[in-house]
Amino acid sequence: MNLNIKANKNNTFDAIVVGSGMSGGFAAKELTERGLKVLMIERGHEIKHIEDYDTAMQEPWDFEHRGKTTNLSAEERWANSRFWGLGSEEVVNHLTNDKENPYIEKRAFDWIRAYHTGGKSMHWGRQSYRWGKHDFESNAKEGIGIDWPIRYEDLESWYTHVEKFVGISGQKEGLEVLPDGHFLPAMPLFAPEAHFKNKMMERFNRPVTVGRVANLTQPQDIHIVLGRASCQYRSKCQRGCPYGAYYSSLSGSIPAAMRTNRLSILHDSIVAEIIYDEQKKRASGVRIINQNNMLTEEYFAKIIFLNAGSINTAALMLNSKSNRFQNGFGNESDQIGRNLMDHQLGSGATASIEGFEDDYVYGQRPNAMYIPRFRNWGNDKQAAYLRGFGYQGGASREGWNRGVGADGFGADFKQGLTKPGAWAISIGGFGEILPNPTNRIYLDAEKKDKWGIPMIVTDAAFVENDWAMRKDIIASAVEMLETAGFKNVTPYDRPTHMGLGIHDMGTARMGRDPKTSVLNSFNQVHDCKNVFVTDGAAMTSASCVNPSITYMALTARAADFAVKALKKKDL
Amino acid sequence: MKRREVIKNVALMLGGVFSAPTLMAMDNWENATKPNINGAAFSLTETQQRIVAEIAELIIPKTNTPGAKDVGVPAFIEMMLKDCYKTPEHQSFIDGLDSMGKVKFLELNTDERRGVLKLLEQETKKITSKTTPFWRLIKELTLLGYFTSEAGLKASFEYVQIPGKLELIKLKPNQKAYAY
Repeated sequence: MNLNIKANKNNTFDAIVVGSGMSGGFAAKELTERGLKVLMIERGHEIKHIEDYDTAMQEPWDFEHRGKTTNLSAEERWANSRFWGLGSEEVVNHLTNDKENPYIEKRAFDWIRAYHTGGKSMHWGRQSYRWGKHDFESNAKEGIGIDWPIRYEDLESWYTHVEKFVGISGQKEGLEVLPDGHFLPAMPLFAPEAHFKNKMMERFNRPVTVGRVANLTQPQDIHIVLGRASCQYRSKCQRGCPYGAYYSSLSGSIPAAMRTNRLSILHDSIVAEIIYDEQKKRASGVRIINQNNMLTEEYFAKIIFLNAGSINTAALMLNSKSNRFQNGFGNESDQIGRNLMDHQLGSGATASIEGFEDDYVYGQRPNAMYIPRFRNWGNDKQAAYLRGFGYQGGASREGWNRGVGADGFGADFKQGLTKPGAWAISIGGFGEILPNPTNRIYLDAEKKDKWGIPMIVTDAAFVENDWAMRKDIIASAVEMLETAGFKNVTPYDRPTHMGLGIHDMGTARMGRDPKTSVLNSFNQVHDCKNVFVTDGAAMTSASCVNPSITYMALTARAADFAVKALKKKDL
Repeated sequence: MKRREVIKNVALMLGGVFSAPTLMAMDNWENATKPNINGAAFSLTETQQRIVAEIAELIIPKTNTPGAKDVGVPAFIEMMLKDCYKTPEHQSFIDGLDSMGKVKFLELNTDERRGVLKLLEQETKKITSKTTPFWRLIKELTLLGYFTSEAGLKASFEYVQIPGKLELIKLKPNQKAYAY
């Protein structure tokens, strides 16, 4: 056993945060702003905000393959390139090389990773929705999984806190199914979308709103002070924004934490193990392996926040064994790695739109429209499945690539393609997946990665509830587009695995009972209270809305609790 | 430095916060070198290259704006096939070129060549194979290569690098599409 003998001033902090992505960044900000000296540990290389967004200002012709995925990228990023566009040379170098960082797929899981400063917060879709009250209550009402130990009211003020800092553009709608937040001015719906919205209300009494998106439409002082500027409507967010107009750890939480002068960041450092002090019955620190030179080192702190991303957080806990925790850190319940959830993605419908020929748009909207959940809601009751889904999508005028499938060539054909094409629309569902202990990740008993850490095995798949919902996602999309009067309505259903929603969560869930859950109501590990897990791993159910602001709200709430407890010497 | 100036001016105009590192980073982007990517073995003979060039030029001919040949589409097509497509498409493309060889495409006059392509377009619709057929490959790569080239894009569309705002507008008669 390694004890604290190596502890020295340079390696000791008030708090350690493992991971620099969406929730890790927020943990660092909240803890440093409350006076703690924090060490953030990132397993990947350093990316500097703005300076390292190497493709951000490139023009279309600067990309040798004009944004297409090369065979080489597809081979190196074999998992990442399963998601639309992530193999593109616009972004591919900012996503993890899967060939060098392999995982084992017992059942296939599309694990999208970005091992660098900011993690996937650099690449996220930026859609930001509060959970509704029902999202915290459904498990208990329906007897699914376990009950959440918290309710909407516990998070409400933290949502506001997060929204103010992040900067979310959106329209207040007064809907119970999709609670309003603290919004910056909304982006507009395009003319055919406004028509669609009216039709849906008129025919189905279904609300449609513009996407709630973490792009600054009107920067406030809290954003400007960090060097963040207004959205320029280039819609090239995925490359990294040189204006800091969309929120990421890189543009928001890390700069805020840096301003306190209390944040240190360690890059290229894979946390291999949480160190448990058997005498004091608490975690004393972490052991890291430098990913480049293989050297190991230990760092110590009073509290530890795990924000490595659901799958890596679970793997780290499973790999941290001691006399006290022989089955993995805080894993008395055997729930770590289990209940892996995501949102199902990749099905919906498209249509062409007649009319609106005079309506056009200047600028590119980095956003879409949103159709909140309407299934198993209010008077609607589905016999075939539980929970529901929301749609994201929108209308746009076709570009030159309409020529690929059309007849013709030559001078007139060429000239015709310089004009905006007809309007077209596409909507796709985001469906809630239920917690299921057999959907899981675990560590391989023998195979190790190049750093000697056991390899991660994914073992998860959709079940009956998901397939029944998927059928309805497609059928309802067709019905809505047809009802709006659109033409050539065409369903789509992309063959997919879990993971493609890039909302992996649930692998160290919160709950009241240590026998069935890993974390308590303040995200503390039941059996080791100075370790907090506030990334997606903490989720007890998945809702159908995008999860990032919920992770951040949970993180801020846990950080506030942790610092108060430290001051009271409870930790 | 032109791009840098444009960005700087837009930033000033909008009163946005723009730091020294941002401007430094822009210089870095301008000096960025492209990675060298090795694709699968695929190459065309000189005759095949000539056929590709002639077909691409018939799809996007030089008019009062540049044509496919002017902006380097023929070489682009070969590079893209090599780097981004796999053996079935390579074979499909070579088979298509073989057919063009059989009809002695290069010996035909322009009208005859157009006739061949019209026929090819109709025949392609009957193909049910999963592999992308020759006509579809050469058409999509010609359009991609042309409309995303600097000269092709700027001649065809109203290029807006940094819109700076989002506005619902009414289309004017004959207005070109925006490209970003």
